[in-house]
Amino acid sequence: MASRSRAWLAVAAVVAVGLVLSFALTERYHHRILTLVFLWAAMGLAWNIIGGYAGQISFGHQAFFGIGAYVTVLLAAKLKFTPWIGMLGGAGAAVLAAVLIGTPTFRLAGIYFGLATLAYPLIFRIVMDYLGYQEVSIPMVRDQPALFMQFAEPRTFDLLALGILAATLVLSRAIESSRLGYSLRAIKENEQAAEAMGVDSFRCKMVAYMLSAAPAAIVGAVYAHAILFVVTPDAVFGVLVIVQTLTVCFVGGVGTLWGPIIGAAIMIPVSEILDTTVGDRLPGIQGVVYGAALMAMMLFAPEGLYWRVRNSVLRRSRDAAGSIRSVLVLPAAPSAARAATSPSATALMDVRGVSKAFLGLQALSDVSFDVREGEILGIIGPNGAGKTTLFNVLNGFLLPDRGDIRWLGASITGLQPHVVCRRGIGRTFQVMRVFPHLSVLENVMVGAFAHGAAPARARASARAALEQVGLADRADVMPTGLTTLELRLMEFARCLATSPRLILLDEPLAGLSTDGVELMSAMIRRAPTANITVVIIEHTIHALIKLADRLVVLDQGRRLAEGLPGDVTRTPAVIEAYLGKRWLARQASTQEPPGRPC
Amino acid sequence: MLKIFGLSVSYGGLRALDEVSLEVGEGEFVTIVGPNGAGKTTLLRAISGSVRSAAGRLEFRGRDMGPLAAHQRAALGIAHVPEGRRVFPSLSVLENLELGSYRRAARPQRAAGLEAVLAMFPVLRERRQQLAGSLSGGEQQMLALGRGLMAQPDLLLLDEPSQGLGPRVVEQIFETIERIRKSRRLTILLVEQRVVEALELCDRGYVLETGRVALEGAHNALLADARVQRAYLGV
Amino acid sequence: MAGELAQYVVTGLLVGGVYALMSIGLAVIFGVMRVVNFAQGDFMMLGMYLTYFYAVSLGIDPLLGALVTIPPFFLLGLLVHRVFLARVTGGGDPNREMGAQLILTLGLSLIITNATTMILSPTPRGIRTTYATQAFAIGPLLLNQARTYAFLMALLLAAAMYVFLTRTDLGKALRAAADDPEAASYQGINVRAMHGVAFGVGIALVAAAGGLLATYYPIEPNVAVNFIVLMFVAVVLGGLGSIPGAFVGGIVIGLVQSLTLLVLPLQLQNVGVFVAFLVVLYVRPQGLFGRRARTV
Repeated sequence: MASRSRAWLAVAAVVAVGLVLSFALTERYHHRILTLVFLWAAMGLAWNIIGGYAGQISFGHQAFFGIGAYVTVLLAAKLKFTPWIGMLGGAGAAVLAAVLIGTPTFRLAGIYFGLATLAYPLIFRIVMDYLGYQEVSIPMVRDQPALFMQFAEPRTFDLLALGILAATLVLSRAIESSRLGYSLRAIKENEQAAEAMGVDSFRCKMVAYMLSAAPAAIVGAVYAHAILFVVTPDAVFGVLVIVQTLTVCFVGGVGTLWGPIIGAAIMIPVSEILDTTVGDRLPGIQGVVYGAALMAMMLFAPEGLYWRVRNSVLRRSRDAAGSIRSVLVLPAAPSAARAATSPSATALMDVRGVSKAFLGLQALSDVSFDVREGEILGIIGPNGAGKTTLFNVLNGFLLPDRGDIRWLGASITGLQPHVVCRRGIGRTFQVMRVFPHLSVLENVMVGAFAHGAAPARARASARAALEQVGLADRADVMPTGLTTLELRLMEFARCLATSPRLILLDEPLAGLSTDGVELMSAMIRRAPTANITVVIIEHTIHALIKLADRLVVLDQGRRLAEGLPGDVTRTPAVIEAYLGKRWLARQASTQEPPGRPC
Repeated sequence: MLKIFGLSVSYGGLRALDEVSLEVGEGEFVTIVGPNGAGKTTLLRAISGSVRSAAGRLEFRGRDMGPLAAHQRAALGIAHVPEGRRVFPSLSVLENLELGSYRRAARPQRAAGLEAVLAMFPVLRERRQQLAGSLSGGEQQMLALGRGLMAQPDLLLLDEPSQGLGPRVVEQIFETIERIRKSRRLTILLVEQRVVEALELCDRGYVLETGRVALEGAHNALLADARVQRAYLGV
Repeated sequence: MAGELAQYVVTGLLVGGVYALMSIGLAVIFGVMRVVNFAQGDFMMLGMYLTYFYAVSLGIDPLLGALVTIPPFFLLGLLVHRVFLARVTGGGDPNREMGAQLILTLGLSLIITNATTMILSPTPRGIRTTYATQAFAIGPLLLNQARTYAFLMALLLAAAMYVFLTRTDLGKALRAAADDPEAASYQGINVRAMHGVAFGVGIALVAAAGGLLATYYPIEPNVAVNFIVLMFVAVVLGGLGSIPGAFVGGIVIGLVQSLTLLVLPLQLQNVGVFVAFLVVLYVRPQGLFGRRARTV
């Protein structure tokens, strides 16, 4: 598609511009700045893989930078290893460190992750100091200096740095358009929804972390040779490294290729020039500039310059185009009518004695029922009955205290949500969990990737799902431009794209107008004809009665009743649960009175 | 006292309330019933100010509430006893009650108010130094009610006080609400799922369904109206 | 050996008291605002300089000077909250907010440290007092007088904080806002104003801690970096958001730092603390008195 090859062209363009600059500039000082711009842009891109795409803000990336620098320089100094190979060793060490650091740390949520990453570079810094590596000089080599990454001509360093930038750009772009890229962005936007769509979030984060550690190490190695000449713990494990990395990312824009480039292109020359001109009289001017830039961005444009400009450009063009909203038309249903597909007697899912308590409340108490192939099973019950908790248990988000859930004959109790999804159970959520910064098509693609499809196949799968729900023409729209009904349909399509045999729908009709309810119900009604069994939680009882084959009623965590909708809603126990014992008593004692209008 | 015209509220992308209009007169006891997802809690939150309305007008004693934030509305004498109790778990029972009278107008009567509440809820007196988070559901509900009363409110908003509580405790709660009604000159707006208990206590009622007012009337009229059941169970 | 151990324990406790005071400030800010204030150490550094100024220009003993830093820093905190933090918090999305706050306070930290380096020279300064170099002898143990007085003052301030939080309306309102901001607003509590108060109190406490620290620790613009992680560890150990937890955490960290010297050389002293940090995060991230997550 045009936009994808456009991105590669843009990458090539950036590299071309870099080349032009490198050859155009003559002064040593300018070359130094150029080298720094390229290096920090590359470092920013490396950080962006874990911090931007995956949304795991790391305050410790300088650990990898420093490892790269130290390993390379020590190998050269002690073992006469050429840094060209040594830096690969550095990268390898960094990847290993990423695995060791990431394995325990990714279990931590949000802020704890960031805090944990703080500790590692501090430890490395102290240890290096202690081991006596306070100052490791790069040994000057007289014959074959190029072999030891020592160049007389400063331009060569630019080109080397540009090469690394180009490689990191290529890596980032490749990730962006791959299944990993979609998974990471889904994790960032809404990790739970991502898991429910089959994304193994731990594995994805780990891979991203490893992929971000390697380039960081290489940047560190080159930085040591091009700029430092003497490696000290503070210079490579210190705060200034992470500050510059974060500044270029947050100023330029997080989560995009162009952010770190823009950020580096602006911030590095500014701070370097300030440092050289007034740095003597005003020591620390660089820190002030970075600090001010970070604060200014967080106050006025927290998404970064790239996104800010892009969004305002896009908004203007969208306003200009006007909002032409075509009426949503239900595509023709497969010929089999609802009545013709009667649910079979085979139980696909068997819920046995599930109990779950938390926060001192018994949310579920010995709940048992089965789900038969081809049926639409409704779960109803008054507020607080435990319906969503039940779904969370079925889905893998919660571990039941007691009981078992069997799916296709095998137990799935305790399996992680993404595994449950890949076994064929899909899910939508009560409060919609869309991925707000991905287009409609991309949202659905995340689901399509559940079965390991390559991007092209996932795209096709996603388009097919969108066709099924009638949203094909909304494929490239962002979720903010959709109505509630369209969002619900998109969530539904995303769920369908995971190729489920059973879907758990949590209040899919909430917040919809009468027309919307009709349309959504029609959509759900068709699922069994496509071999999809449905379990649906709903409060809109009128709609559910027409939709469901059977109902299960929960009250205060217990299964109260089960059976045909018409029967269940007239069962005294159920009426009592909803309206109270005394309502029931009143209805029983009085005749049905004529209804009085307001 | 409270007038609502055409209130519409959306959040999470969902239309929770759709052009709801209702009125509560000074000294009245009005109940709002309806099934889950009808928007009852959203309505109360829109009145007390923790949720912004997309459209419509809210007037309290003739004054437009639109520009006022939640804490400012509370300062005017609107006490919201939220769904799920929401007592402050790390504060003691006594501290929770004291905070109930945080608003300036209620502070002078703090000591007297405290005595009255502890007299009404002896179990709270017993547990007054205990952390609120360690109380049972029923006790927390009483604490939440007491906290609301400490504000010496003019309008008391009660959001599903029976939720998650066992039948005996629920009876106690409703008895207490009746006692409150009788002993103080309060205007009460009660949101409940349990139809009969709520309708029996009130003067007038509204039935909300999917964000709209489906029925309204005097309490005995609604109690006799089978359409109320249909709103819940479709039949 | 037992005598040596006892000495380390006592030194650790004394130092821990001041850490505890620093950490309480951080805990108040996190508890009420859910903000991790990266600039906490830098405000402490400013507190040290202000105390130095009081000592050198006005002849005020630093122990008293530390107290006098409280009012100006409280006001500074209100201002910083109003101008900067309020714009980035109190929205809808706590996740997105968390990132923006961290970076904002990081930026603030950079500005404060580097501007101080620019304006005042980076040469370390110290406050000369009679007690800085003297020690109390209790049996075989030696208690440095400055550290002892600092410890006692820190306890005093912590006690004052306790009284504030449990006996005053404002203090209780702060705790309520930390527990449940929505329910707090229903009682008429202006949660946004509470954020400002929390931030003001938080940096006032850490500035006072800095003043106490200045009785025995050299003052220089970069001093924050040695203490910020200690504070974080203490707060996480105690349980993010728990104020008594932060107090206990601070004491524990003082002990850990001191006892590490039994097994590691002086240079690696802080490694013990960092490793403890990681252990806590991995084994029990909610800390000793951690509260349940507020979000569902």
